[in-house]
Amino acid sequence: MREFATQAAPVSVDVPLISNQDVYMNIALIKEYHENMPRQQAERLAVHCLGRIGLEHIAYNRNPSLTLEERFGVMLLRAAMVKDAMILIDKPFELIPHLQDIQMITSMLKTIGDLYLSCHIYDYQWMQEKYGEL
Amino acid sequence: MKAFWEKLGRFAILIFEDSADTIVFAVRVFVRIFQRKTYSSAMREVLVNQIYFTSIQILPVFIIVSVFFGSLLIGIVFTMLKDLGLTEFIGHVLMGLIVTELSPFLTVLLVTLRSASAINTEMAVMKVNRELKTLETFRIDIVDYLLAPRVLNGIISIVLLSSLFSIVLLISGILFAKLIFGMNINVYTNIVLNSTHFSDIVLMLFKCAIYGFFITLIPIRFGLRASHELTSIPIAVSRGMVNVFAAIVIIEVLSLLIKLY
Repeated sequence: MREFATQAAPVSVDVPLISNQDVYMNIALIKEYHENMPRQQAERLAVHCLGRIGLEHIAYNRNPSLTLEERFGVMLLRAAMVKDAMILIDKPFELIPHLQDIQMITSMLKTIGDLYLSCHIYDYQWMQEKYGEL
Repeated sequence: MKAFWEKLGRFAILIFEDSADTIVFAVRVFVRIFQRKTYSSAMREVLVNQIYFTSIQILPVFIIVSVFFGSLLIGIVFTMLKDLGLTEFIGHVLMGLIVTELSPFLTVLLVTLRSASAINTEMAVMKVNRELKTLETFRIDIVDYLLAPRVLNGIISIVLLSSLFSIVLLISGILFAKLIFGMNINVYTNIVLNSTHFSDIVLMLFKCAIYGFFITLIPIRFGLRASHELTSIPIAVSRGMVNVFAAIVIIEVLSLLIKLY
């Protein structure tokens, strides 16, 4: 794990969004800090990525006003902003408890497939049935 | 009696350790301010936002307070000087007391009440919400991203706002010099310029910078000391604010001592 330390991009309840920043800023922050991307370019990229998963309308909202699905989408995009991202989704059904199966998450992952290198989902053994054939 | 000395000793050690921690923390942040890698695009964005919140949003209230309070202060001081027959000292009093001492002091009080308390709460809330852990997880240095821009903003804002306060005071001085002493603008300007010492201005700006550094650094430090429980927020904020006011008094006393010797 240590060799992938710079690629690890967690999506977890233990890694919340920054609540005093807009949604787009949470996503753009990674590029702005690590790649020194200019603010406007990072903002455009974040809004564009939100649009790809149908969440463009929440770009200027803040964490407390988001639904669970929206929050998950933003956390996923933030993780995908890491260079050569190795997305680690920790207990996705803890983030969206009312979700019946993994369908919504896999479709989101497929939509932004070009933004990350690999994705690993970790969950308890007894949650296996929610994952179906995955 | 022995218990008393033990208690006193423990208290002294606590104060010493606390002060040493603050100095180490201050040095760490101070050094980062001068490192080029600190100034990432993300940090610059935070810095611009912080300057906007601290120096621009406060402007309407700040200008109203400085016009009313400054005019009142100038009026009282000029009237007293006239009553005491000390009219020839008007320039020295204006520059030595009002501009170099009271302007930074009143500015720092206003900014502390408005921004330092907000910074303290913001840091404590971020700690409680585990948002600082988020930054660490994504390998974002909190000194670079959160601390340095806020401290730098404190320095810039206090220097600028204090200068603005001084300008407002000097302008209202023109009016009161005319009303109280019947002095025209040219005479007033001459008196003020003759009483101005470059060293006083440098000392005032330096003091403003020190004020700005500590009134943002101390709230940040106490905010970061909050635990992961909501109940720790008010404790962190009240301790931070008490320490900020203690720091303001200490800086004021030290600057007076420096001026004295």
